[in-house]
Amino acid sequence: MPALKKTHRVALLFNANKIFDRDVITGIADYLASTRSSWDLFLEEDFRLRLPGIENWQGDGIIADFDDPAVAAALAHSRVPVVAVGGSYANEADYPAGVPYVATDNFKLIKLAYDHLIEAGLRHFALFSLPQAEGNRWGQERERAFEALMRRERFEVEIFRGLATSAQSWDEAVQQQIAWLNSLPKPVGIIAVTDARARQLLQACMLAGIAVPEQVALIGIDNDPMARMLTRIPLSSVIQGAQEMGRTAAHLLDQMLHGVRLSGSCILVPPSGINVMASSKHESTKHPYVMRARHFIRQYACQGIRTDQVAGYVGISRSSLEAYFRRELGYSVHDEILRFRLEAATAILARGDCNLADVALKCGFTSSQYMHLVFKRELGCTPRTYQRDAAQERYTPPVPFEGIPL
Amino acid sequence: MIATSSDAGGASLPEDQLFTLRNADGMRVTISERGAALVSWWAPDRYGRQSDVVLGYASPASYRDNQVYMGAVVGRWANRIAHGRFVLDGAAVQVAVNDRGNHLHGGPQGFHALRWDGEAQPQEVLLRLRSPAGEAGFPGNVQIQVRYRLGDDGALSIDYEAVTDAPTPLNLTAHPYFNLNGGSADIGDHMLQVDADYYLATDATGIPLGMAPVGGTPFDFRRPAAIGARLCWPDEQLRLAGGFDHCYAIRGRADGQGGALREVARVVDPGSGRCLQVSTTEAGLQFYSGNYLDGVRGRAARPYARYDGFCLEAGAFPDQLNSELAATAILRPGQVYRQSTVYRISLQ
Repeated sequence: MPALKKTHRVALLFNANKIFDRDVITGIADYLASTRSSWDLFLEEDFRLRLPGIENWQGDGIIADFDDPAVAAALAHSRVPVVAVGGSYANEADYPAGVPYVATDNFKLIKLAYDHLIEAGLRHFALFSLPQAEGNRWGQERERAFEALMRRERFEVEIFRGLATSAQSWDEAVQQQIAWLNSLPKPVGIIAVTDARARQLLQACMLAGIAVPEQVALIGIDNDPMARMLTRIPLSSVIQGAQEMGRTAAHLLDQMLHGVRLSGSCILVPPSGINVMASSKHESTKHPYVMRARHFIRQYACQGIRTDQVAGYVGISRSSLEAYFRRELGYSVHDEILRFRLEAATAILARGDCNLADVALKCGFTSSQYMHLVFKRELGCTPRTYQRDAAQERYTPPVPFEGIPL
Repeated sequence: MIATSSDAGGASLPEDQLFTLRNADGMRVTISERGAALVSWWAPDRYGRQSDVVLGYASPASYRDNQVYMGAVVGRWANRIAHGRFVLDGAAVQVAVNDRGNHLHGGPQGFHALRWDGEAQPQEVLLRLRSPAGEAGFPGNVQIQVRYRLGDDGALSIDYEAVTDAPTPLNLTAHPYFNLNGGSADIGDHMLQVDADYYLATDATGIPLGMAPVGGTPFDFRRPAAIGARLCWPDEQLRLAGGFDHCYAIRGRADGQGGALREVARVVDPGSGRCLQVSTTEAGLQFYSGNYLDGVRGRAARPYARYDGFCLEAGAFPDQLNSELAATAILRPGQVYRQSTVYRISLQ
């Protein structure tokens, strides 16, 4: 029988109430599942970070979110190996000294969002940031990256931080956002430093009647499913390599626990993708009536709206709206509504098994028979075959859980 | 009758023919008779912009001196043979040695350097080659046919067939260097996924030491990971090879037996949205991160640099001839060698 391997006690110091930190921890777990290393993980019950007493903790190693300077300070003289996780810095001197550091590449996150917006045809850009605070230095680094990029590409630097969210200042925060949005040249491509921030701005656009993506094309960072759920217009987002950061940090700590010395190595992890949704699918300028109509359709297509309701929202007659649609887009208002319903239905079907009648209802089709008909006509397949093909397209080979100690 | 030309080239020789395949999606793939090489592959990005997603030389003539196997079909033995020595049916065979004391990719005048006889069909290009007995030290006269087809779904199928008149090792592969962003940056941000639990760890000269589990190492691409960040992991195997130059044993094929054509790897470039899927019948998949591209003069304004392109080469395992799996890599008279590999480019 092979000798039992030593189990190491490892503390994970994160504020894992956010998708990013949770993904990092998922990556750590994924790494552990793939190796023979055995760690007892120490995490607070609510996955939040508490520092007092950490210096007396009797463990073997620590992986910590170093974005908060208080964490970096508390662990500066740690007796046990520490691997730091955080954001990249434009200035080399800002990295913590003497600690291996795994960073999300802030410049590349912003660059990917910017490249997407400029390819969509936008020529004005802005960044929606957040107020400076300890613990969100990544926000300031994203501002720096945006500023550097704008200067390099000879564009105006337009950054808005707005107010921190609180119940008291909610209305004021929204009013400020609307005032800022109104002040920007249109159409404008806006990068928000997080999806949570993007969601707030999207809401402000709705309140102010600003068409997304025609007047404001918006993209966030994090690909946060929660933020996506809470927006009427599906939100585009840059996906951070957070899970890979977790795997990398775990590997570095694993090496250190086995005696490898890694003092100041820094590994930058680039974004792992971009989820392009409706909020950034900007197209070259169309007639304002058409833009306004599409803006309404995008929000309410799945709620069974009819052409006359769209015309009512735009404030012109049904027949004039149809004429504008024919001229600008070459198809009818009803076609546009169906297009959005179809898009919503394919998105649900691609996610996996579900009841077709529910999907039809959820997407604003009058019946599943009608949805079937639209699928056959537009996509040349039935909803069921679409779902089956989508399932085959998904490709994630299972990670065999070899070597997990029993 | 198969026309052959084993001459490395000279002014009097006819120029190597180029063939271009197109599909309904506007893709264009160019194949050269020289080395049966994939010379260029124009494919649209997320925004409809066409770029060439493989590395290549500026002029077709440069493929006559193709030191880095750019885009070429490689044989008679793709990958390495330790000291160029192996035992075939009880007899020791010595073949050409051209890489740190080992045989690599058919030797200095392997299939990549030869002029194949090309024939254009409506939807495909056929390339034929006859490799005489004794070439690079290999026994048996071998006839090879490679067929390239481009589908409307963006799939470039490469089907290989070969026969011999005497027992010989045979291992063919394709050696295109991909860069899915079209060369605007290196391949560091490309996300790679490989369906393999084991890879072959190597010595300092690239000869396998044995199967090693990928778990806990930078070689674990069972979940997608950026290549560039993995290159930064502290790891002795990466250090020895100057990056990735290692063969994966495709899941379920560690016995060296291939299988039905299926997807084994996927690479996505987040910036352009291009996705490369690799399907193959083969048991091995060599992942090479372009470690020795520095200074190679290609089509770009500047010479290529390290990590400017990557290769995913499907085939047998390196030095398989000196392992217990040697028998599966020998082609005998009456048998037909067949392998199929499909590179498919689509948008995410």
